[in-house]
Amino acid sequence: MSRELTVARQMISADLLRLRKKRGFMALVLAVVMAPLVIWTGYQVIEHASNPAAYGPAGGINHFVKMLSLLGIFMGPVAAVLIGAEAGAGDLAAGVFRDNVLTGRSRMALFLSRIPAALAVTFGVIALGFAFGLAVTFGFAGGIATPSLSLILESAAWLALANGVVCVIAIGLTSLTGSRPGTITALIGWELILSPMLVQSTSLGSARTGLLDGVLLFLKPGPLDGAPTITMAVAVAIAVAVLWAAVLPALGAWRMQTRDA
Amino acid sequence: MQTAGLTKRFGQRTAVDGVSLTVPRGTAYGFLGHNGAGKTTLIRMLLGLTRASAGSASLLGLRVPAERAQALARVGAIVEEPSFYPHLTGRENLRIAAAVRGPDTRVRIDEVLHRVGLDKRAGDRVGTYSLGMRQRLGVARCLLSDPELLILDEPMNGLDPGGMLDVRRMIRELVEEEGRTVFVSSHLLDEVEKTCDVAAIIDGGRVIAQGPIEELVAGGSGELVIECDDALRAAELLAAESTVHDLRIEHGALRMRLLAPEQAGDINARLVTAGVSVTRLEPVRHSLEERFLEMTTRLEVAA
Repeated sequence: MSRELTVARQMISADLLRLRKKRGFMALVLAVVMAPLVIWTGYQVIEHASNPAAYGPAGGINHFVKMLSLLGIFMGPVAAVLIGAEAGAGDLAAGVFRDNVLTGRSRMALFLSRIPAALAVTFGVIALGFAFGLAVTFGFAGGIATPSLSLILESAAWLALANGVVCVIAIGLTSLTGSRPGTITALIGWELILSPMLVQSTSLGSARTGLLDGVLLFLKPGPLDGAPTITMAVAVAIAVAVLWAAVLPALGAWRMQTRDA
Repeated sequence: MQTAGLTKRFGQRTAVDGVSLTVPRGTAYGFLGHNGAGKTTLIRMLLGLTRASAGSASLLGLRVPAERAQALARVGAIVEEPSFYPHLTGRENLRIAAAVRGPDTRVRIDEVLHRVGLDKRAGDRVGTYSLGMRQRLGVARCLLSDPELLILDEPMNGLDPGGMLDVRRMIRELVEEEGRTVFVSSHLLDEVEKTCDVAAIIDGGRVIAQGPIEELVAGGSGELVIECDDALRAAELLAAESTVHDLRIEHGALRMRLLAPEQAGDINARLVTAGVSVTRLEPVRHSLEERFLEMTTRLEVAA
């Protein structure tokens, strides 16, 4: 058993190495998360400095709430999609998948090792954005309220859930299709365009409880920031999130078993 | 390594047709054939990458695909071109490969890099490697798990003469110094002849000949060349022999085809008894390439 655990740990560490050493890719992912945060914060700081009467401080609870949306609904998930797609099909794209299969290691083990590695990179990038957002929240708060410790911890957990689920979906879909560009286009299109539109479509009624974005907005901690919310039971929200996180990876794992190496 | 009646069909087309091979331990075994003859398909079946339509195969005594995982743990293989992550160094690529192979393999990384002569370039990105270096890194990756059997699919494809020589030397060392079995598929007949001890020739999905290289080469036409002091007289004497065919004089020497190689002694005795002084008597040694072309042409004509 300990031998299997050692193998699993080494495989995860190998996947992590493969991802983090792709420097251009990592720079892109960091830019996707950090650039909007930095630009938006800089804009707010300049606004406040130029006219403090009209524009409040750049930090404080308002910044914190909007930063959460940016990291949990918009740019964070885009980064999670990029990382998940790279983790899901990097070996296929490089042609290394066949060599891995030739070792006799189970294909399921090969698939499963991708998930913790991709999640570790995703959480690392999101944590960097969150740390920057917190620094601005407290550093530029001026006289306005700042989030409590419990809200900060709840928010961190929510960001982990929101981005983790999207990352796992991306791994599953890429493993299923074998195509990184296709998966990235489809998921980013879904995350940034289609899903927000559907969440706002009140005509869909309770069907929106099945949307991951609806669930994440419902579970988002802290004050509302104008985003639409869908009312549902917490158990339903968790079940929907789990379903999203399970179905596509299960399909991806199945395809890994049957894929021609 | 053994196969019995191994067959693979793709719809109506039969890519591999009832192939039965026995690869002896501790040999370099060449698997020769034109491009598209069925070499890679057979290797893919052996490694469990694709299912056989009929027949059976075993690696190191373990049935494939039933005991594939146990078998592959003792086998190193390169199917088609070896692939790596180009953004990682040679050593990092081997670290990733070692992680999949098991905890005991990681300690062998430096050893196998040295073994294939890549220790000085191990810190460079694989994207900067030549094809020959990637082939050697592929062999290093195979050696990580200290395999008893290596299966190399076209390892000399695209290599320059220097690269071919490196791979050839490496294969011989793996067999002679380390006692491993190496199965090499190739369409480069000359390289197989220089590298391997035993070979099989596949054509149109069927094995048309197999055995030690020397036997394959010698088992050809049964041609004999004789140099003597009077070629014309010798020709007159031998023309009457029923065992001699296609007798002719070329560049002052007699060339003929015998029904059986052991008849060369009788021919020599016949000439010496008649007072002809024989200075050279030698069976014509064809290259494997000539034998291969001879056999495949014969099949084409028959078809």
